[in-house]
Amino acid sequence: MKKNFIFIALAALILPVVLRGLWFYRGFAQRPVISTPDYVSFSAPSAPVKSAPLNVEDVKQYSGVVLMDTIHGNQFSMSEVDSLVSDIKQRGGRVDFSSDPTLLEYQLKYASSYITLSPSLPYSVNEIRILKNFADRGGRLLVFTDATRYSLYFDYVSGNPITYGDVNAVNPLLASFGISINNDYLYNLEKNEGNFRNVFFDEFAKSELAFGLKEVALYGTHSVESPSGLILLRGAESTFSSANDANDPAQGGAAISADGNVIAFGDFTFLSSPYENYSDNAALIGNLADFALSGKQKITLNNFPFLYSGKTVQVYLSSDLSKTAEMVAALGRLQAALQTMNVTVEFVDSVPNNGDAIILGLYTPNEDLAPFIKKFDLTLEDGSEFITVPGFGDIGIYGNSILLFNATNKGNQLVLLSDSIENTILLVDTLNSGYLTGCLLQDNAAVCSSGYGGTYGSDTTSTDASGEATPLPEETVTPSG
Amino acid sequence: MSAAELKWENIRNSLLWIALPLIIGILIAASVPKPVIGVIHLNDAIYSYTAQDMITQIHYAIDHPEIRAVVLAFDSPGGTVVDTEAVYMELTRLREKKPVVTAVNGMAASGAYYLSVNTDYIYAKPTSLVGNIGVIGYLPPAPFIFEDIISTGPYKLWGAPRDSDMRQIEMVKQGFFEAVRLGRDGKLNAGPEVIFTGQIWAGTDAVRLGIADEIGTETNAIEKAASLAKVANYEAKDLYQLSVYGSGSAYPFFIQSPDGMIMPYPNEAGTYLLYIPPLPVK
Repeated sequence: MKKNFIFIALAALILPVVLRGLWFYRGFAQRPVISTPDYVSFSAPSAPVKSAPLNVEDVKQYSGVVLMDTIHGNQFSMSEVDSLVSDIKQRGGRVDFSSDPTLLEYQLKYASSYITLSPSLPYSVNEIRILKNFADRGGRLLVFTDATRYSLYFDYVSGNPITYGDVNAVNPLLASFGISINNDYLYNLEKNEGNFRNVFFDEFAKSELAFGLKEVALYGTHSVESPSGLILLRGAESTFSSANDANDPAQGGAAISADGNVIAFGDFTFLSSPYENYSDNAALIGNLADFALSGKQKITLNNFPFLYSGKTVQVYLSSDLSKTAEMVAALGRLQAALQTMNVTVEFVDSVPNNGDAIILGLYTPNEDLAPFIKKFDLTLEDGSEFITVPGFGDIGIYGNSILLFNATNKGNQLVLLSDSIENTILLVDTLNSGYLTGCLLQDNAAVCSSGYGGTYGSDTTSTDASGEATPLPEETVTPSG
Repeated sequence: MSAAELKWENIRNSLLWIALPLIIGILIAASVPKPVIGVIHLNDAIYSYTAQDMITQIHYAIDHPEIRAVVLAFDSPGGTVVDTEAVYMELTRLREKKPVVTAVNGMAASGAYYLSVNTDYIYAKPTSLVGNIGVIGYLPPAPFIFEDIISTGPYKLWGAPRDSDMRQIEMVKQGFFEAVRLGRDGKLNAGPEVIFTGQIWAGTDAVRLGIADEIGTETNAIEKAASLAKVANYEAKDLYQLSVYGSGSAYPFFIQSPDGMIMPYPNEAGTYLLYIPPLPVK
């Protein structure tokens, strides 16, 4: 009996606890093993090393001049392109700056290449024409943009930031060469150089620019395409454009124009420290320096006054030109003018066969000048008042002078022909001015008017012996364009 | 024994053997705690003050047995890496003992999502913003020296070369990605090429991709936490009120312009698990 009471008492004691427990708790929660990252196992990706050491002693030597654009709001500092400038200098090249748009055409006459980096101001139609002409004649154009360089504006209404990228400035220029740069950036989430926007490129076009490259890295690059040219740097299939998050095999980090004279990059951060030394970037920069300096413009009279390939010009006066005081003075001015271009003048007494030369003579038949008359197919008949110049037709000899230019592997020759010593002096002074003002210009020949001649010529040549006026020529043929 | 005495004896026995133990039992039962689902709100960026608040609440939840489960309710764009990691690791200690469920209110982006993946279940509202998995960092300037400041090494003033900083950010990313992989193991419906782009998704897309589990509210999260903890008739309590309230004040994490506009950019340079929206916010 008492035992029953004890059980009842225990039940009464436990029941509220059990009931309350069951009211609140419906079982025991089993906790799973919680997995968390093993942080110690993570490491920062190391910088990629060069695939092959550079042989700095084996670089080619050039004497070209690279013209660097600074007139288009270029978004770079010189420290960012030190590596390229250094490689250019190491190869015997010189870097000049284009700082006046009115001098662009003049400066390009002596440049082997023109480099523009991340311009923010567009090129004018005239600048595009000048640069197109430059590249068409063999000059090299290097265009660098960068996906991290842009002007930032804010929409007046929404406050949204609007970026105006450098591609807007360069694409009208590059369109002439069949290249376009997209206003995007390339990225690779799978294989990259320390960050998704730093993209490796390991497929290269067959080009001198790809010599010795196995893998290069660009750091925030626009995509570049050229349907008519070549993609110089192509990434893996996992390289996507930010424009559509997709891979386009027609796009790459750099492209070359069909004629091989224009290269466009979507990035120039790879030129700066420390990225210049990662992967094969240093080799690429060396190749770019070679490319910039090996541009050989086809030298024509359009390049005047930069017509000479060497440091010395031999000046020869044909036997029918006497060294009058006026002539000597003009030659002195010529010497001074050439010295400003670091060209030394050497006067010689026979027609030079090698090296750069300036040869002065008169229209009168002369053995010294016969080879040039023949070479340029000039027709000068005895007693005629006209000389036939291919491309120009018949040119009145009085008051007109002719410039002939012959560029050869042995040197460049400039032949000056006039009707008189006075006009020869005037022509030499035209040369001294640095501009062929008042001349009809073709590639290798020019006709320059001295303003005197024809019916206003000297008494001995403008009238015949009987004193009758020489009949005017029927028509003087001049080139149309 | 008379009948009256017998009756009295029965009453006495009943009181002694039933009523008294029952009263005692009821008194003892009262000591059985009513289960509590603790709720930790984060309606700010994750930085030293907010992280410390969260850690205090987590410790409180660990130390108090009546708290059977915890709900993290987020409206946060994330924050600093180190503070996020600190909360993440404390959260691991809590999860080893008690279920934790996430309720994404406005946003669980970047660092806030980092914390979310260290919970048992994630609810989001249809248009909550979820994801933005990745790291952002502000690179230091290229080192230079001052006339009047002397330091003992080239990076004493700048911390690290720019290049190293970039690579360290990549290392932080590995930790984040691994946390997501482990936390959402078997639940993700898309590959890394989608999940790890840094995109931020609306709640519906987040559920579709498996970066969240279900569309639901904070109430759903509390119910889920109770279910995982196997408790009923519980009460939900804001752990901030129990553990942190009145303990201090925070400084503004975001840049505030003189005219009061709060910019979505942190006050200090550094490395962040942070979502920066495209437009300035007032």
